[in-house]
Amino acid sequence: MSASADKRSAYADRRADAGPPFFDLLRLPGVGWFLRQRWARLGMQIPLLLLSVVLVWHGFLGPDLAPKNLATLLTWVHYRGLLVLVLLVAGNFFCMACPFLLPREIARWIFRPVWNWPVRLRNKWLAVALFVLLLFAYEYFGLWSTPFWTAWLIVAYFAGALVVDALFRHASFCKWVCPIGQFNFLASTLSPLEVAVRDLNQCVECRTKDCICGPPASETAADAGRLALPLLAKRGCELALFQPMKVGNLDCTFCLDCVHACPHDNVGLVTRMPGAELAAEEPRSGLGNPLTRPDLAALAIVFTFGALLNAFGMVSPVYVLQAWLSGVLGTTERAPILAILFAVALIVEPVLLLGLAAWWTRRATGTALSLPRLATRYAYSLVPLGFGVWLAHYAFHFLTGALTVVPVLQNALAEIGWPVLGQPNWEFTGMRSGSVFVLELGFLTLGLVGSWIVAIRLARKDQPSAPWRAYLSWVVLQSILWAAAIWLLAQPMEMRGTFLGD
Amino acid sequence: MKMMQRFLVFLAIAPMTILVPSGCSKSSTDGAPDVKVELRMSPDPPTVGQGTATVTLTDKDGGPLRGATLKLEGNMNHAGMKPVFADAKELDPGKYEASVNLTMGGDWFFLIDAVLADGRRLKRKIDVPGVKSR
Repeated sequence: MSASADKRSAYADRRADAGPPFFDLLRLPGVGWFLRQRWARLGMQIPLLLLSVVLVWHGFLGPDLAPKNLATLLTWVHYRGLLVLVLLVAGNFFCMACPFLLPREIARWIFRPVWNWPVRLRNKWLAVALFVLLLFAYEYFGLWSTPFWTAWLIVAYFAGALVVDALFRHASFCKWVCPIGQFNFLASTLSPLEVAVRDLNQCVECRTKDCICGPPASETAADAGRLALPLLAKRGCELALFQPMKVGNLDCTFCLDCVHACPHDNVGLVTRMPGAELAAEEPRSGLGNPLTRPDLAALAIVFTFGALLNAFGMVSPVYVLQAWLSGVLGTTERAPILAILFAVALIVEPVLLLGLAAWWTRRATGTALSLPRLATRYAYSLVPLGFGVWLAHYAFHFLTGALTVVPVLQNALAEIGWPVLGQPNWEFTGMRSGSVFVLELGFLTLGLVGSWIVAIRLARKDQPSAPWRAYLSWVVLQSILWAAAIWLLAQPMEMRGTFLGD
Repeated sequence: MKMMQRFLVFLAIAPMTILVPSGCSKSSTDGAPDVKVELRMSPDPPTVGQGTATVTLTDKDGGPLRGATLKLEGNMNHAGMKPVFADAKELDPGKYEASVNLTMGGDWFFLIDAVLADGRRLKRKIDVPGVKSR
């Protein structure tokens, strides 16, 4: 077999069940044309950078009342809501437009990082820890209710991206550090769009592999001379995703560097089956086989159980639990009580539940896989349900409060003596919470069905003759978590989000 | 040399991210800091639905402050919720009452905006935590 045939076979295996893309966003006039431009990402990042500056300014200098401050309103209501909705209907466009990366590009123009990210940290454990830390900080500092700390969080994010990527080459911050990025990576496994090769045969003939290596030095040098902004230079994927061997959206920031780098115009933004990649077995570029990676599985677990925990902090039963814990511990200090709740929700509960489900699968199928390996493998089947919970929660805040941005903006402009939008009209709100509840149920049920499908697909590979033996415990576990989420949503909302009221 | 220039530009810009937040402060617009303000909610503990907010204004000696004009604005401490507004009426000397509709359980705060009989303007924020859902 020739080398070309080997490659063709290897590449084709990667997308064995995928035919030609049904739809390619980059082929569209208008949106497609815009995204194909090298300045498209910059064109989205600059407005968001300016918006971030406004949020930081208002967070520090505006009213310290969360409902009247743009920092808290736009961060915790609009940004989060739009993020999950765009991930659901399109893809990881918020990473594409991420403003945190603009200062890093400027820093790189100055410093030119020379270090590679440490080998020992080339996994998701640090990101898992930071994700948990972010959830913890959200509760501990009451970020939703404090413009000051929200502004600081934005500043810290800019500083973090700046420092990490000024020191380390490639997209180290995005791939190994950024907790929001990890959230987006996991959630985008359920998105209908994916950056993918249009025709794998073209890749077989490709000699230069610009999508991962970047264009030849001569072309880069010519670019540098032609373009004043080094931000627009072509480059290969900074997240180490080689297009012909890439599967799905994990670790893909939708930066479209590969689209611009490919000299054959062979990379598109194409439709695919949402969630299918969660059961994909084959090793993939930049990730290996996720189904055998405990760090990625831990991320999936924190993503799912963190969604339930985050929602739990908003309903009334949490206060019964907090009072009980406070009495048992003999303290009203928030930190130890939060720490216990986080440990139970994100460690004890998942270990017990996934351990039990894995034990049943092992017993029913007679597989030689260990319990941790089984739990790692099937942990990805929880992601659709986890995304459903995040969607239900964030969509509630966004849809019920979307229009409150109007009076808050009117108020902000009036306060600086420029009332061009008139006096605040506080009648603007959003949908009624009763109407949103139906949508929330829909998101949760969609997530449950997605989780069932992923578990069943995995089980068919593990136990082709009787897959139910493998998936039964996972379907039961997912259904229990779904029921818990429904129960949470049905509780009277008490928008405190803090476990210990003052 | 060019590298040095870039580095100096960076040095000039970077500290601004620290200085801007740490150097700022917010001034209070309360024109009557000596006035004591108390807010009581009925039912107590406060519950979602129609209720009554009673505001008591006293001077530094504990005497009631009569003849003030009071406006109340209730907000949740989570962004994205519609505020509730009410004008308070003086029922007893220094005691002002308003009907308020708390639309959701959780933590609320009330902004009290009063014009006192002597013309001073009082602005206070009073927390009403833990409004119970029905």
